[in-house]
Amino acid sequence: MTKSTKIFKYVGKRLLQGIPIILAIVIINFFLLNLAEGDAVDVLAGEAGSATPEYMAQLRKKFGLDQPLPVQLMVYLKNVLSLDLGYSFRHDMPVNELIFDRFAATGLLMTSTIILAVGFGILLGLLAAMRLNTWKDAVITVFALITYATPLFWVGLMMIVVFSLNLGWFPTSGMTNIAAFYEGWDYVVDVARHLVLPTITLSLFYLALYTRMMRASMLEQYGQDYVVTARAKGLTERRITYVHVLRNALLPVVTMAGVQVGALIGGSVIVESVFAWPGLGMLAFESLFARDLNLLLGIFLLSSMLVVVVNLIVDIIYCFLDPRIEVN
Amino acid sequence: MKKILTSIIMAGSLLLGSGVAHADKSGGTLSFLVQPEPPTLASYVSTSGPIGLVMPKVYEGLFDYNNDGSMVPILAESYEASADGKTVTFNLRKGVKWHDGKPFTSADVQFSVMEVLKKVHPRGPNSFREVTSIDTPDEHTAIFNLKKPAPYMMRSFSAYESPMVPKHLLEGQDIKAAPLANKPVGTGPFKFVEWKKGQYIRLDKNKDYWQKGLPHLDRIVGRFIPDASTRTAAMENGEVLYAAYNAIPNIDAVRLKERNDIDVTTEGYSMINPMALIEFNTKEGPFVDPAIRRAISVAIDRRFMIDTIFFGYGKPATSALSSNFKATNLHAEMPNYPEKGDKAAANAILDKAGYKRDGDGVRLKAVLDIIPYGEDWRRAGEYLKQALGDIGIQLDLRYEDVPTWLKRVYHRYDFQMNVNYFYQLPDPVLGVHRHYGTDQIRKGTHFVNSSRYSNPKLDALLDAGAGEPDAAKRTAAYKEIQQILADDMPVVNLFELEFLVVYNTKLKGAYDSAMGAYGSFREAYIDN
Repeated sequence: MTKSTKIFKYVGKRLLQGIPIILAIVIINFFLLNLAEGDAVDVLAGEAGSATPEYMAQLRKKFGLDQPLPVQLMVYLKNVLSLDLGYSFRHDMPVNELIFDRFAATGLLMTSTIILAVGFGILLGLLAAMRLNTWKDAVITVFALITYATPLFWVGLMMIVVFSLNLGWFPTSGMTNIAAFYEGWDYVVDVARHLVLPTITLSLFYLALYTRMMRASMLEQYGQDYVVTARAKGLTERRITYVHVLRNALLPVVTMAGVQVGALIGGSVIVESVFAWPGLGMLAFESLFARDLNLLLGIFLLSSMLVVVVNLIVDIIYCFLDPRIEVN
Repeated sequence: MKKILTSIIMAGSLLLGSGVAHADKSGGTLSFLVQPEPPTLASYVSTSGPIGLVMPKVYEGLFDYNNDGSMVPILAESYEASADGKTVTFNLRKGVKWHDGKPFTSADVQFSVMEVLKKVHPRGPNSFREVTSIDTPDEHTAIFNLKKPAPYMMRSFSAYESPMVPKHLLEGQDIKAAPLANKPVGTGPFKFVEWKKGQYIRLDKNKDYWQKGLPHLDRIVGRFIPDASTRTAAMENGEVLYAAYNAIPNIDAVRLKERNDIDVTTEGYSMINPMALIEFNTKEGPFVDPAIRRAISVAIDRRFMIDTIFFGYGKPATSALSSNFKATNLHAEMPNYPEKGDKAAANAILDKAGYKRDGDGVRLKAVLDIIPYGEDWRRAGEYLKQALGDIGIQLDLRYEDVPTWLKRVYHRYDFQMNVNYFYQLPDPVLGVHRHYGTDQIRKGTHFVNSSRYSNPKLDALLDAGAGEPDAAKRTAAYKEIQQILADDMPVVNLFELEFLVVYNTKLKGAYDSAMGAYGSFREAYIDN
């Protein structure tokens, strides 16, 4: 069996294993969320000012909230299995549509953040390890510690103060220039300009993490026997670092990045809120307070699927980084 | 009534004049803050604040109201009331079209009031409760037939309170579920274009608006920015030009006010009349005795709360009614509302009523629930804990999320005292009666009589006040109502909230309507 067919079989098997896990997550989430006091009708009625109990009963009937919990769960599971995530009564839209609409924004922010954080994290970690105990190492380490310890919302606000209010380089918030409604290439440039500050803010925290990890991981690998062997063979330090040590040192960083993709959806709530970025994190946050359970369950379902898929990708990346690791 | 009629016609012609004269005001996009994002756009089903910020630009009412209280004719050109006050005839504007091109007629008015507002609007059943039927002798005349005279009804025809909706798009459907909700079609100066969830709502100029030369703006965009500090930054950066209902917190507003390009006003809330207050559970728990509630009202330093927590924006309450009702002669100052608080007097009341202090100086313990609408209220709770601690009432604070809090106070009555605020609206019948009437003890309905206070004498007075066409007699009825409430204190009114509008000074013409941010913005323009 060639390596690629092996990988395909492996992927298929892992995806199948993922299904019961995701279903279990859905069921647990369903009951957990229903433990919260009050429902979507209470919130809607509260916001509307006075609403009669008859009206609220009527709404509950319409939303299916008058049914016993197990019945509601069965209905929900049936819908999920037919790829229908239900209806958000608060937004008056199908959940699929809502999530799809927001996922683009979250996906964009997540991808750019991962690239920036992992890319620069690896680079800085590498640099620090190669220049161990020099001033460069010290600067990088201190920078990593400070960004790691600074609260995200504060970094975001300071970014706005410096780069939007004082320098005027970037807009404060949003995803597009509202007054302009650009199209075509102008639109791409416009979104990119809006993306800069949130990406940097969200990256900083992870960047620090990856820098620290990469540095430690490099140092650990330098002490391994195979490095001594390589030196004895007469390889240049350059070749040892880039071909042998770097590949092995990347493994823990890639693992960590995989785990954190799931957390990024939730962790971006603060950044989305500060920069009014219309992503899934904010949507989840708002729907919790509105008791919009269908929507919330949909978002949880999506993020659990994402975690399963990303971890699978990470496992495959392992095979390429380290030929000794094989899928089976 | 004649006098009102002429003044309306005069205001109308003035308006017409101002609209035509300045063609150079036209153009531009106004982007303003909408906070939080509205749940739907069905302003005929929900009076939720953010909906009110957007929809009065799209739907119109029969009248608008100016800051001086005068009525501005919008979809109605004038009205006449019969001598007994039981028939009110509205002469509707001719040549008005819905955004889809269909003509606006008296049938739309009849349908909007009888089928929509009276049935599904949260406050409509109250505003129009005396309306039994509406006759439409021709396309431009609507005659309201009333059971009893309803003087307060004339204050509720604004686009926010009573929007006129298209009959042809709602008839025969379940009104609460009709697709019109999020694809609104109105007669207003702006047409709905798109709602990008999590980002903005876009409205474009209605080129066929009935008032020639209006609106000035090409576009209005309502933006949603969840974080308060970012909202402030967007205002500073000129990315948004207008923010109402404390979208910019007071703490930032006082700072922004110092800039040359940004100003702050408290105008535009007189039809809303927000009042901060404490509701008590008068049926069980520590506050059954009116003497304690009175002592609490006497002990609180209202001036301190306003100055320290709300940065000076607010007026101390002097009775159960807002001082804005002085305009209609309904407000009367009452005892038991000392502006700066009088702890000695409060202690004396409690001593006299026989509440002894224990070894720690505590007379009684209670839990204070706090409205979960932001930090200011939490601080108000902290102040109350301190102030009432001084008179021997030891408070524990409880701060829950909105649905949990609503359930506790309005469904289960599982509370002792609750900091809250109510809109008193343009007439006590619309906003105040719901707090005290026995018929307003409605388990499961939010923002009504949660104190479960019931006093037959007060009920009779409230009824009398509602239907009394004679101004002097109405004043007398409300004076007596306020006396009873100042004595029994089922609710301790704290202070009249003054919400702020923070705006960029290049935005002009958006401040004349008493509806403020809930107005149409049809005369707003950007002065470059």
